[in-house]
Amino acid sequence: MGNLLEVEAKQETFSINLEQPQKKDFLTGAQAMMECLLAEGVETIFGYPGGAIMPTYDALYDYIDRLNHILVRHEQGAGHAAQGYARVSGKTGICLVTSGPGGTNLITPIADAIIDCTPLVCIVGQVKSTLLGTDAFQETDMIGVTTPVCKWNYQITSPDEVPEIMAKAFYIAQSGKPGPVVIDFTRDAQASKMTEKFEYKKVNKLVTYRPRIVPKQEQIEKAAELISKAKRPYILFGHGVLIADAMQELLEFVEKTDIPCASTLLGLSAMPIDHPNYMGWLGMHGMYAPNVMTDQCDVLIAIGMRFDDRVTGDSSKFAKQARIVHIEIDPSEIEKIKKTEAPVVGDAKEALKMLMPLVNKGDFTGWKNEFRKLDLKEHQKVTLRDLKGEGKIKMAEVVAMLSDKTNGEACIVVDVGQHQMVTARYYQFRKPHSYIASGGLGTMGFAIPASFGAKMGAPDREVVGIIGDGCFQMTIQELGTIAQSGLAVKMIILNNNYLGMVRQWQQLFFDNRYSFVELKNPDFITIAKGFGIEGHTCEERENLSDSLDRMLKSDKAYLLEVLVEKEENVFPMVPAGTSVAEIRLE
Amino acid sequence: MTTYTICVFTENSIGLLNKITIIFTRRRINIESLTVSETERKGISRFTIVIKHDKREEVEKLVRQIRKVVEVLAVFGYLNEDIVYNEIALFKISTPIEGKVIDVENINKVHKAWVVYWGLDYVVIEKTGTEREIFDFFKYIKPHGIIEFVRSGRVAVGKTPQGLIEYLPEEIAEWEYYL
Repeated sequence: MGNLLEVEAKQETFSINLEQPQKKDFLTGAQAMMECLLAEGVETIFGYPGGAIMPTYDALYDYIDRLNHILVRHEQGAGHAAQGYARVSGKTGICLVTSGPGGTNLITPIADAIIDCTPLVCIVGQVKSTLLGTDAFQETDMIGVTTPVCKWNYQITSPDEVPEIMAKAFYIAQSGKPGPVVIDFTRDAQASKMTEKFEYKKVNKLVTYRPRIVPKQEQIEKAAELISKAKRPYILFGHGVLIADAMQELLEFVEKTDIPCASTLLGLSAMPIDHPNYMGWLGMHGMYAPNVMTDQCDVLIAIGMRFDDRVTGDSSKFAKQARIVHIEIDPSEIEKIKKTEAPVVGDAKEALKMLMPLVNKGDFTGWKNEFRKLDLKEHQKVTLRDLKGEGKIKMAEVVAMLSDKTNGEACIVVDVGQHQMVTARYYQFRKPHSYIASGGLGTMGFAIPASFGAKMGAPDREVVGIIGDGCFQMTIQELGTIAQSGLAVKMIILNNNYLGMVRQWQQLFFDNRYSFVELKNPDFITIAKGFGIEGHTCEERENLSDSLDRMLKSDKAYLLEVLVEKEENVFPMVPAGTSVAEIRLE
Repeated sequence: MTTYTICVFTENSIGLLNKITIIFTRRRINIESLTVSETERKGISRFTIVIKHDKREEVEKLVRQIRKVVEVLAVFGYLNEDIVYNEIALFKISTPIEGKVIDVENINKVHKAWVVYWGLDYVVIEKTGTEREIFDFFKYIKPHGIIEFVRSGRVAVGKTPQGLIEYLPEEIAEWEYYL
């Protein structure tokens, strides 16, 4: 009897607690998270549910009219899709995954995003805070694991923290040099209610983190002085120009000064390819003139680029004669690789605006013609050979034809390898944010998820993924995501039945010893059809044009497989670790 | 190899030690000593990290990369001549009845070290000084039998009239004093 009474008494207290009106109205941590996403203007989430993130997915169920969630097939796909989305739209990409393997599967995209400066907010479930550190089911120390590869991370253990931390997360991801932020969200923080009313205040300032946007005037003046005195100035611009949305400023600067310029791989599409001052792109497989002329210029103006080793080759020999102006938002990049005479720390857009009134038109006709002379050499030795149209179809022909048919205006998403370099060489980019590639990390498997991410970010643009046969199989399961979400993504497999870039190196530098590079591939078209995606294979040159038309005309997702020359090499090439002077054309 | 002392001011939050030391790991720089404590401003921690390196530019790159950590307020790199610095060491020395008597007066006057605890057959001596002074004392006291020895990381202040706190962002000045 005594026991029964006790139970009754407890129930009574319990019900009294439940009826406290204000407590009942407060949001749970998961609901607060949804409100934060809305407050930040988020429209699209790429994710995959699982145990520790279930309260958040439950909250999401009430927001499906306002938040579009794309269910991927593997968390890596969510990450790369969010990258594609962010790169094409400039907005922050959102990933929502569960703890343990969900989080660890996201590591590659996070590492990719930090090196390619892509704003991501990754919300990762975590076990209950009471279980932290106990090796609980699907527990991984996400803070420990992601610290070396993310811009910022934080573990939320109380629902009250959600608004403040999310505001901080978005600010850090988007500002300065953008990057991935990881939010480790414990299950109890998702499920329990806040103890106060939800209020969201956007953050645009932090005491400890203050990226410099507007450069110091004295740095601008020093840079302008160097630029004005130059006889053979040369601009190298990178991804920073696209991130800072400084395309117009760059164009005006180049037109006012008449200085020749070239881009890095990720700087592609920041300037229309047919601009008379644009000389092409440089780097390991970049164009001949832009590479070689780094040894000839007297002042090198680097804008939003970081002298990556794939750009410089042997950095001690790179542009040794040049005085360097380096416009860069991240102070730790200044002098990381090259001694810099005039560093300008700040946003590329602001820096170019401030430089404009201090620079004048120079006469660089002779200097520009030197580029054009070298171009001719490349054209005769490489381009004509690539586009000759004999034997098996060459990758270059496919890309060049696609470029013509899309008028250079499609958004091209590439994977990693020979096809990536060939696309950079032969697609005539006329619109910004059109070359989406994993540049810094070189992540194979990037393109399928990044292309549907890009399609979500730019639904009105033609998005074409150009993918190698090796890469395609690394994230092939994401065809399911494309089919389910009904996105009209076009994909081209340039199939040479090899891991082509590795094979090229083995041929050139490892004495033709082809060590594990040949692939016995599946029937890609049958696989695509199995997922519900139309496609066909093109084997003959005379069918190539029709094949591309068929793919482009389709209003649904489409896969075109082109069987290309098996042992084709990409030139020019600056062998790794050598100077750009050692560039090879054959 | 030159000794550098790196002072890092950070928010006092979980996991920050890892976020900072990982930058040394990545650049393959060994940490000789490390001291962390809260400063006179509440919520602000100060790391004092000692490293040895033969290239100044590399240390400068390291300093800039530490600055990049979101929670870091400021980083300062110093050569030994720029700072006043010290370490503290504790020696547990055996004092058996039949053993050699320790010369407390000499320890106090010559070595500026103090017996801080008298055990039954051992004493604990505290010695404050530079690494070198501590090891000089180590040599002196060794014949008595060192049962245990521990040395702290370095603490350092700059030889400037201002405190480093004054170089921190203005908002920090408004933060309440810890004491």
